[in-house]
Amino acid sequence: MKKLLAASVACVALLGASAIALENGPFTAEQSRGGRALYVANCAQCHGPELKGAGEAPPLAGTTFIAAWGNRSTEELYNLVKASMPYGNGNSLEPDTYRRIVAYVLAANGAKPGNIAMVGNEAVRIASIADGKMPVMTEAPAPATAARPATSYPQTRFGLTVAGSLKSYDPVTDTMLAHPKDADWLMYRRNYQGWSHSPLSQVTAANVRGLQLQWSWAMNDGGASQVTPIVHDGIMFLSNTANTVQALDAKTGELIWENRIGPAPTRAYGATRSLALYGDKIFVPTTDAKLYGLDAKTGKIVWQTVIEDAKEGYSNTGGAIAIRGKILVGLTYCNRYETKHCFISAYDANTGKVAWRFKTIALKGEPGGDSWNNLPDEFRQGAETWIAGTYDPELNTTYWGTAQSKPWTRASRESGAGATLYANSTLALDPDNGKLKWFYSHAPGENFDLDEVFERVLVDHDQSKDVLTIGKVGILWKLNRVTGQYEDSAQTVFQNVFDKIDPKTGIPTYRKDVQAAKVGDWISSCPGPAGGHDWPATSYDPKTDLMVIPLHQSCVLMRAEPMEKKIGVGGDAGSQRLFEMPGTDGNLGKLVAYNTRTMQPLWSLQQKAPFLTGVLTTAGGVGFVGDFDRRFRAFETATGKTLWQTRLATSVQGHVVSYAVDGKQYIAVETGLGGGSPVGKPTTLMPDIHHPNNGNAIFVFALPDN
Amino acid sequence: MILWHVGIVVVALAAAAPARADSFETRLSPSPLTDGTRINITGEGRALVQWDGNILSVSGDFQGLATNATTAALYDGPGIAIPGPKAFDLTVTQETSGTIWGSLQLTRKQVADLRAGRFYIQINSQKAPDGNLTGWLLPPPPFAGEDVPVAGAGFLPQFEVKK
Repeated sequence: MKKLLAASVACVALLGASAIALENGPFTAEQSRGGRALYVANCAQCHGPELKGAGEAPPLAGTTFIAAWGNRSTEELYNLVKASMPYGNGNSLEPDTYRRIVAYVLAANGAKPGNIAMVGNEAVRIASIADGKMPVMTEAPAPATAARPATSYPQTRFGLTVAGSLKSYDPVTDTMLAHPKDADWLMYRRNYQGWSHSPLSQVTAANVRGLQLQWSWAMNDGGASQVTPIVHDGIMFLSNTANTVQALDAKTGELIWENRIGPAPTRAYGATRSLALYGDKIFVPTTDAKLYGLDAKTGKIVWQTVIEDAKEGYSNTGGAIAIRGKILVGLTYCNRYETKHCFISAYDANTGKVAWRFKTIALKGEPGGDSWNNLPDEFRQGAETWIAGTYDPELNTTYWGTAQSKPWTRASRESGAGATLYANSTLALDPDNGKLKWFYSHAPGENFDLDEVFERVLVDHDQSKDVLTIGKVGILWKLNRVTGQYEDSAQTVFQNVFDKIDPKTGIPTYRKDVQAAKVGDWISSCPGPAGGHDWPATSYDPKTDLMVIPLHQSCVLMRAEPMEKKIGVGGDAGSQRLFEMPGTDGNLGKLVAYNTRTMQPLWSLQQKAPFLTGVLTTAGGVGFVGDFDRRFRAFETATGKTLWQTRLATSVQGHVVSYAVDGKQYIAVETGLGGGSPVGKPTTLMPDIHHPNNGNAIFVFALPDN
Repeated sequence: MILWHVGIVVVALAAAAPARADSFETRLSPSPLTDGTRINITGEGRALVQWDGNILSVSGDFQGLATNATTAALYDGPGIAIPGPKAFDLTVTQETSGTIWGSLQLTRKQVADLRAGRFYIQINSQKAPDGNLTGWLLPPPPFAGEDVPVAGAGFLPQFEVKK
């Protein structure tokens, strides 16, 4: 605590000193004035009209900005903005536009203009010209008329834009969800166990080289797209950015109906990862934190409900799961200091009425509430649920992962060595009432943006009912899913975050310098925030008992930034410097297969480009995966040997699925853009790999009819 | 099964082992960077390090720096991928491409650190004075080639470095 106070005092001293004698900034008044409208047009949708930041977009003004940037140069700021902004479209604006935007940001932090126009290579220390105090001229909200989405979503109308009707629709029942037809892909991970495995077996190692493109479909651009096509009785339900849902003939690609629910994407995340089916409806959790029930036959809205207030930054990107007449959804972007907290919630499938909420943050006086270093409740944030859960019908238990607490680092959030429950945990909930059955904290008091939020995969080994999951740190965990007891774990990539893991409890011990880190320290983290493992999901092949895991290999130095303890303030508060993972020879991509009974690796392979799709395994013994460098490949599940590959229009991103229509097996994969670290890290570390910045689309492959 | 125990076994074996020759190699890749510093932190290279039981010999090459190299050194960190203090200066071609070399004597602790993967090479340059290229000295990773599957989990440094 003393160290934190000292750091804060030093920070205040720094700000105070710079406020006394600020030099003029390396820009002109004309540049900063002109930069305002350009900022509004290109940046404000993510960073806010008042530069306060939101979600993963950091604040660009105030003490948090100065703490992160005070000791860095205007040249670095210009280079960063030019290379990476607007998000996902770096270098897409004129150099003078970037200069004006940077000039405006500096002026918004109290920098006074000078007489010489900014070029971009000025090595001026930002704290010498700016103190984070916003002058009156920049405080007024930007004019709404000047705003346009930062993403490339085109101007369009919303609503039921293509009317149509399925000829018939067989309502989805609990039995269907528990025992899906081989031809269907009814939910995110195909089955309740979260396997991402298709029992279809027409495509084999012997014939996979004959795969041919059957049809493709351009999807909405603008915002991240990492979707899962959902298929029922030959109809593909496809989520797009702008919360657009389409029903397509899964055999021909013919559009049947389209509902552009909207709104247009306004920040990095544009589309839900998965829709859900139940009864005669399709359920759409939206990026503006609502849940819609659509008539599956026509796409018309039957009901809608608000999960949480999107104006406060909340969103859903993780999709939904239907369980016993309820639709369960998570919530994300809970990283601001608020009296509210993140939660999982359930809604009646017929009416949309909320059935229950489970808050994923333990508050004072509640079980687990003593794990936050006595922080006031409003400063306990994070634990988002941005991946839909799985379900065991026999145990009537649903399993969800949670993200890390916010801000990212212990020093910034001042949580000490507390576990910050229920962040980075597995939660086992009763789907009928949301009651917590058990929890397991995988990374107590996480420190590096290393989520453990990803898919929970349910596997039985004889009498042992297991749940497996892997997070960004790259540890594959196995728990007993009845009790939550730790069973085993295995390390899949190099990691230096944990010194050891207790072999009985699974509780990890953080490196000593991680435990001692204070605000302002640069601390190494391997893997970094792209993982290890991230949202590109695993696949479990029941025939071989193999879990095939896409992995990423890069590291960061992360520095904790100070975070003002004030309602409405928030963010991640961690600066990062990226580097290649030692011992990988620059291969960011890794694919590995683990036997889930023994937890031993069977095979692994590495490649330059990271994998950006979930893995699909099939009963034909063939698996599929796509990558950052536009390659979509088939591999032999038992050996990892590449059997077939093709290159698609842009990065292959999303979730690969397989389905059948009229007895013929299809493989569908998305090319997609946008997202967080899994895309951002290779974009920075591998500037020589290029792919177009548009091209969200679905590609469907099959063997020829003969 | 968690393999932490393996490390303990390796340490125990290494402590009893006599001086031996070892070789290490590394890809020299851009030092920790951001999109804002990437313009000045460019290039790549390779280095080979031989330890004959008495002398550590360093040789390597690099190319593609944005500005001329200024200094190069061997650093001794507290762990793999964890930066630490400089241990030895190396000789470096002060251009945007060239070679590095050096011949050094190590203390017993430094030998142990070398075998634990704690040593790394860093080349600095005019516009990246705090690190332009970095490479951690590890046993030669047994890559079969890009996209080629190998048995097991592949190279996991903390299980495979010698202590």
